[in-house]
Amino acid sequence: MGITIKDVSKAFGTFQAVKNVSLEIPTGDFVALLGPSGSGKTTLLRLIAGLEGLDSGGIYFDDIDNTYKSIKERNVGFVFQNYALFKHMTIFENIAFGLKVRPRKTRPSKNEITEKVNELLKLVQLDHLAKRYPSQLSGGQRQRIALARALAVEPEVLLLDEPFGALDAKVRQELRHWLREIHQKLNITTVFVTHDQEEALEMADTVVVMNFGEIEQIGSPEEVYQKPESAFVYSFLGRVNEFRDSEVASESDKISYIRPHEIVLRKILQGDSIVSEVSHIHVIGSTVRIELRRYDTNDLFEAEMSIDQYQKMGQVKKGDILYAEFKNIVVFDKNSENKLNHSGKSGIRNSLKSKLI
Amino acid sequence: MIVRDTTLHAKNVKTTFQPGLLTKWLLITVAIGFLGIFIVVPLIAVFSEALNKGVQLYFAALTEPDAVSAIKLTLITAAITIPVNTIFGVFAAWAIAKFEFKGKNILITLIDIPFAVSPVIAGLVFVLLFGSQGLFGPFLEANNIKIIFGIPGIILATIFVTFPFVVRELLPIMQEQGTEEEQAAITLGANGWQMFFRVTLPNIKWGLLYGVILCNARAMGEFGAVSVVSGHIRGLTNTIPLHVEILYNEYNFTAAFAVASLLAMLALLTLILKSFVEWKTKKH
Amino acid sequence: MADKRKRHRVLPGFGLSMGYTLIYLSLIILIPIAVLFLKASTISLAEFWDTVTEARVVASYKLTIYTSFIAAFVNAIFGTLIAWVLVRYDFYGKRIIDALVDLPFALPTAVAGIALTTIYAPNGWIGQYFESIGIKVAYTPLGIMIALTFIGLPFVVRSVQPVLQDLDQQYEEAAATLGANPLQIFAKIIFPAIFPATLTGFALAFARALGEYGSVVFISGNMPMKTEIVPLLIITKLEQFNYAGAAAIAVVMLVFSFVLLFLINFWQWKTTKKYQVS
Repeated sequence: MGITIKDVSKAFGTFQAVKNVSLEIPTGDFVALLGPSGSGKTTLLRLIAGLEGLDSGGIYFDDIDNTYKSIKERNVGFVFQNYALFKHMTIFENIAFGLKVRPRKTRPSKNEITEKVNELLKLVQLDHLAKRYPSQLSGGQRQRIALARALAVEPEVLLLDEPFGALDAKVRQELRHWLREIHQKLNITTVFVTHDQEEALEMADTVVVMNFGEIEQIGSPEEVYQKPESAFVYSFLGRVNEFRDSEVASESDKISYIRPHEIVLRKILQGDSIVSEVSHIHVIGSTVRIELRRYDTNDLFEAEMSIDQYQKMGQVKKGDILYAEFKNIVVFDKNSENKLNHSGKSGIRNSLKSKLI
Repeated sequence: MIVRDTTLHAKNVKTTFQPGLLTKWLLITVAIGFLGIFIVVPLIAVFSEALNKGVQLYFAALTEPDAVSAIKLTLITAAITIPVNTIFGVFAAWAIAKFEFKGKNILITLIDIPFAVSPVIAGLVFVLLFGSQGLFGPFLEANNIKIIFGIPGIILATIFVTFPFVVRELLPIMQEQGTEEEQAAITLGANGWQMFFRVTLPNIKWGLLYGVILCNARAMGEFGAVSVVSGHIRGLTNTIPLHVEILYNEYNFTAAFAVASLLAMLALLTLILKSFVEWKTKKH
Repeated sequence: MADKRKRHRVLPGFGLSMGYTLIYLSLIILIPIAVLFLKASTISLAEFWDTVTEARVVASYKLTIYTSFIAAFVNAIFGTLIAWVLVRYDFYGKRIIDALVDLPFALPTAVAGIALTTIYAPNGWIGQYFESIGIKVAYTPLGIMIALTFIGLPFVVRSVQPVLQDLDQQYEEAAATLGANPLQIFAKIIFPAIFPATLTGFALAFARALGEYGSVVFISGNMPMKTEIVPLLIITKLEQFNYAGAAAIAVVMLVFSFVLLFLINFWQWKTTKKYQVS
């Protein structure tokens, strides 16, 4: 089932959590709502579920107007951030809950419920835990049970609030792949909230980047990463060097950004490069991050390369002088935060040169 | 005593506040001594005075018709007060803990009023309402309804003094549990009552029991408020505590203490149940 | 943000539970209390003043307040000590002692009253020793204090106990590593941390003692001007069918209790705000 969100706004007192948001989610899509805390992403998710009432706008599932429908009528599956498993029920009872509370007419028989629950337990690969209580499960297992419980009512839309927020890094990694697989298997329209850009980029078909209650950009993971439409999107997705009022951006109301891996370091001057002094070297597994200080402006910046490239460069230590070539500078207007140009180095060549020599 | 050690391994250094063994036992002795004199001795006194003229007299005092009717009245009072205040407690705790609204703190303060009101004043307000000179006195008299100096008055006064017990126990538990489990139940299609009986109630059952136990102890033992409204009619409007008072004032000490020992046993039972519930909730 | 979300009232039953709460609260508590003030206002201000400043009434106010204060003070000291012993030490029978602390909550006041009177009567278990050194306990203000100490005991213990339990021993450890001796640690670290709780317990015990009737009425002897407490005086007025007089005395007491309770709440709110780490 597709979801259409039209000009939706929601305020809590004086705090405008969601401002005029419009969004189209096609059937079967896997969407990430990505943004920092307070960006309105969780509120938007809860508005879709009906856990929150909206101030204005409309929410449609396919052609059905769900704006003022109750949670029950919307037939959504919702996975809560802290799972909200019923503590006093076994895992089996938790999953069966949604089926057992149906009115007698539509309630499946006992055998059917048992069959359905077992099927779901197999789907989440936890059939051996049916008789346990939530407190006896690990975080990752609880997450899977919460998902199985939400799926039991055969929702048309699956909504997940920070699904992996409370888990440690390793379990998180496992569950990401697992959730993707489940989505592929069931092909149910899925929306999840996250503040982790890596998670959004890795899992989603569509990433919706939000900030201050508004949508900054909608696109595939590749699009939002490669072609950010605003300074916020650029800086939120991945590590970034920021130069304010620097000589790179010749006008003072511009901010320019460059990702660390788009900086090439050399020991000898070649092309348009900036003289910089090495102030720190961090070797993190297979990548190397080097912190440098520009000679011209005294700004600190970070460059990143693979360990192979680093070794190819030859011995580098703190205090060495390196020449940094900025391969892909992006300049945004400081005030409107809109992108001005997505230049390579050409647009800034002159000013750079004059400073370097 | 602080053992100074040159090593910095925290495990080997006793750094917490640990006065010497002597201080420890001195403090324990003082504490036990104080509790002994103020709590244990009165408790023993009740049973000792009750039984000092023999078991026969003890049971005679308990089975005498006035005592039996006092016991009955106390049970009736508790049987009405507890459900009424429990239902209120659950409703009020639900509204306060699970929803946001203006004036919440004021509402909580108002619910606490009976804690700040002398039991005698609790009785007095009902006399002023329903007594012969009270607001509704003439009306009640004209229709031959007796509230003051009757059982309804006793029940009203008891409801007043035990009013906050259940809600006060439930409120912190419900607030701590938040609303996520209930929201989950709703998203899974449960209706209001299904949500309450299948999700909320199982989560608060021990707190509810705790509140009911405390409410019961107070309802059965209330003296001041009930004393004002009862009229002390033997065999008719005397609860157990009032019966104790009458016997005591008639210098019938043995009988007074015999009946009082019932209440003391109730108190001990309350403490045992209370400890049991505390142990149960700690386990969860 | 989490609490604001509830505004939409996703959960059912707000109207029903709130409506029921307000109606029940009004019927059982608010209207009766309002009637008390109404009744007190049926007499003229001069009459009201005469009633509440009559020598016998003033004597009972004084007696009630000072015996309550002393009892609450005794409880503040011993209650804190008992809480300390229960939290920090392990000894045989600790759990029973812990449970017994609540006895004054569970034991009907009339039972406590007759038991204490019997013990402290001139020929009672403890009273006889006081008698031999020339001190009368029962039927004197001292007896009233003992009864009020009994009923107020749990308040301080139960206020201090959780605070002491939550007190992170790291602070004490930190003080010790900085060279503080045990007495300094107590005075500078522990005492300031538990003092607000002690004061809260004191105030609660004080407020409870002010209105106490059952446990006091037997041991006090009820002599006008000497050992007559305010609640008893209210009953006396009632028995003389002087409803307005009873209401007047009750109003003064009630206002006193409410102001006290308000001060406790205000003070608690202020201290929690002061120490809150945002």
